[in-house]
Amino acid sequence: MATTGNTATAGTRVKPSAFDSEAWQRRLSGRRHRRYIPIAAGMLMVVLMLVCAVLAPLISPFSPSAQFSDFVLQGPGAGGRHLLGTDEFGRDLLSRVIWGTRVSLQVGLGAVVVGFLVGVPLGILAGYKGGGTEATIMRCTDMLLAFPTLLLALIIVTALGGSLLNEIIAIGVALTPNFVRLARSMALTIKENDYIMAARALGGTPLRLMVRHIFPNAVSTLVVIATLYIANAIRTEAGLSFLGLGVPPPTASWGNILSEGRQFIKCCPWLTTFSGLSIMLAVLSFNIMGDALRDLLDPRLRGD
Amino acid sequence: MLPYVVRRLIIAIPMLLGAMSIVFFAMRILPGDPCLAMMGDEATKEALEDCVRHLGLDRPLLVQYADYMWKSLHFDFGRSIVFQYTVSSYILGMFPHTLLLVLASSLVALGVGLPTGIFSALHRQNPLVDYSSRLIALLGLSMPVFWLGILLLIVFSLHLDMFPLIGGGDLTTVFDMIAEGEVLEYPEDFLAAVWDVLHHLALPALALGLTLAATVSRMARSAMLEVISADYIRTARSKGLHERFVIYKHALRNMMIPLLTIIGLFVAIALTGTVLTETVFTRPGLGKMLVDAIGARDYPLAQGAITVFTMTIILVNLLVDILYAVFDPRIAYK
Repeated sequence: MATTGNTATAGTRVKPSAFDSEAWQRRLSGRRHRRYIPIAAGMLMVVLMLVCAVLAPLISPFSPSAQFSDFVLQGPGAGGRHLLGTDEFGRDLLSRVIWGTRVSLQVGLGAVVVGFLVGVPLGILAGYKGGGTEATIMRCTDMLLAFPTLLLALIIVTALGGSLLNEIIAIGVALTPNFVRLARSMALTIKENDYIMAARALGGTPLRLMVRHIFPNAVSTLVVIATLYIANAIRTEAGLSFLGLGVPPPTASWGNILSEGRQFIKCCPWLTTFSGLSIMLAVLSFNIMGDALRDLLDPRLRGD
Repeated sequence: MLPYVVRRLIIAIPMLLGAMSIVFFAMRILPGDPCLAMMGDEATKEALEDCVRHLGLDRPLLVQYADYMWKSLHFDFGRSIVFQYTVSSYILGMFPHTLLLVLASSLVALGVGLPTGIFSALHRQNPLVDYSSRLIALLGLSMPVFWLGILLLIVFSLHLDMFPLIGGGDLTTVFDMIAEGEVLEYPEDFLAAVWDVLHHLALPALALGLTLAATVSRMARSAMLEVISADYIRTARSKGLHERFVIYKHALRNMMIPLLTIIGLFVAIALTGTVLTETVFTRPGLGKMLVDAIGARDYPLAQGAITVFTMTIILVNLLVDILYAVFDPRIAYK
């Protein structure tokens, strides 16, 4: 813009363009940095959650299963030590919410790792090999995709029984088709590159091509999209726990607290309010972080 | 067009059979005996044997599988263990409630999501609109429907006492009156019954619809952005058409095509949402029935509910694919 302005006025005295001004530059750099704000906010919240989960025994004021019979169903601030109130067994809500972070993060991260480890190799194999292998893998994927994540996880958890590990497996398997699709489409694009042809000309085996060339070129995008699925997994976990099919009580998970608090919404709305708020904030922070990372990595994926 | 529909049907059939197989085998790899799980440890040996025979679990697995597939395709899912009705009659009674919820919440989702998505696409140069629309969409995506439902219940049912706390209204009366032609005879009773149903429907539809609206809004936004940068929009503008005309006559109509494909996905999300929504609002329906059946270990009922859910989703996807080809004939030739 500034250059065209200068050439147009060539011959006459070159006026300092408004675009060169310091204020303009500052605004430009401000705009450039502005896109890091969502990432920073999302990451900050994610880090906070990680800290809560890891340091739960240190930072939670009480044990999540300790019962205080004098403080049954007391509101926030009860007795000056129960900051968020207590539940029907007199257990401290703040401690339970903090410990609940563990379950949510374990399931969220674990399920995505399961989905990634199962789905990505299958997807790359389908995309690279093509033909019958691809058709078989993709038909099975389509079949699983007919089930929404929660429904598929529900079926698997019903079959296996509710526990932390089963929940991770169930949600992980339910997420797998998404990873297969994504990895396949990436493998399809990457395998057309000249360096793949070069590697093949040098005698690289299909396995070597997939592991050493296609996977490393796809991994950054896959990891970023995986961040978005963590949010999905956390929400599904909360849904399963809410339906009574997640980690069995008395283990504190946000879905469990919400489900138990549902009987007391009239007298004690804090039980459902704080547990629900935790679920929403957790999902929101992974969504914000994933969205922002995806925009930075590849603006075309934004969909606009 | 016809070959495309046939081809699409041929793809849908193995998908349906495969999905049903998954349901069958998932229900069969249960650790432990379903009969023992249902009847508890105190059950007598005779009762257990009776139960095994009743469910047909003493037959070879492949025979059970073939039997299940054949009967499911005829909507025969056996008898519920807890209620003793046939599963299909139970499903038939619950399906209208779920269908009503899906339709009503879709209306809410489209009514809120489409205008906001389009608005944010058209005014994206305005950073205030751009950022706030993105933030609202993210909030909606992150809001668990069961939590929103509880919040709505606390505010509108418990404190303001405007809506009922549980139930789904008297839908049977509405259907019976229509079937027996009593609508014109007793218009007041009919209107009262309809009002009752809508009264019970309002909060669940709002909760589910608002959480879905975020998805719709995002999709509408990106669909609009894609359309608005197309050549024919530039042509329409350059020949001097009024901006409103360009948007309503040219952009909106073309936007509907990409949006339509996503509706299939959307119905799947909405159907899953009903599982949680119906549980929160203690509202009769397929989703609540499924959760209750799993809780009571009523396997025929659970299996039937999951099968019907899956069938519906595959059917809707098929319909959407066909509709897509109707709106955009190029698809059929690919």
